[in-house]
Amino acid sequence: MTRSVWKGPFVDGYMLGKAEKARASGRNDIIKTWSRRSTILPQFVGLTFGVYNGNKFLPVSVSENMIGHKFGEFAPTRTFKGHTGADKKTKK
Amino acid sequence: MTQNHKICVGVFLGPHGVRGQVRLGSFTDDPESIFTYEPLTDEEGSRVFALTARGVGKDHYIVSVKGCATREDAEELKGTRLYAARDALPPEGEGEYYHADLIGLEARDASGATIGVVENVFDYGAGTFLEIKPANAKSFMLPFKDAFVPVVDIKSGFVKVVLPEGWLTPEKPPKEKKKKSDIKRDE
Repeated sequence: MTRSVWKGPFVDGYMLGKAEKARASGRNDIIKTWSRRSTILPQFVGLTFGVYNGNKFLPVSVSENMIGHKFGEFAPTRTFKGHTGADKKTKK
Repeated sequence: MTQNHKICVGVFLGPHGVRGQVRLGSFTDDPESIFTYEPLTDEEGSRVFALTARGVGKDHYIVSVKGCATREDAEELKGTRLYAARDALPPEGEGEYYHADLIGLEARDASGATIGVVENVFDYGAGTFLEIKPANAKSFMLPFKDAFVPVVDIKSGFVKVVLPEGWLTPEKPPKEKKKKSDIKRDE
């Protein structure tokens, strides 16, 4: 069942404060968070969060197309032990 | 780091039929591109495999290997990993890096001191990040962005990293306030 629209998206209250603080500092900080359940809001775009996966903090760089998803979706808790992308490339 | 190291691109999974055909698992980003890399060798480089694609399975290809004519020959190949030379990969574009090149690089801080070694490269849909393993500590992740990894020197074998403030210091999660209803239940 989907969440009622009148409630709005769920975000842990302290996340907004942390995001605001990081943006005001102007530094390239990674905001550590355990709140995997929080929804990604438009005010988080451009920031980098370290989302805890039960073991480590995984960097999540928030972009526009991630709005509405939860932080936990981008920090898997299971280790993938397969082989993929031997010739995979990445851009900075 | 040299450019002539080998990259594991696939594995022989086992025989298919009785005519020496073999099931091949591909580890490449586009599975079909395994057939474009030549020569494919075993780990030691002593044996070269000439492959001809014969069919496609659910998660593998069916191939003929030159010099492998019977099921017994095919069974012998089971578990053999196929390696391609790093030079066989197409040249990367500007600002692009092969994951295989990044893995194994030394991570250094601004002063040049070694922090650890790049152990893995991940991308779960929210930007690429490096897993860096210090010598005597738990590994940590760092976004693969100019702000955090300003220098990548593959020829010299290192990346220069900038650690964000407090990234490596252990912290505890914030305590959640108990709801009124929970407190009543506890009592």
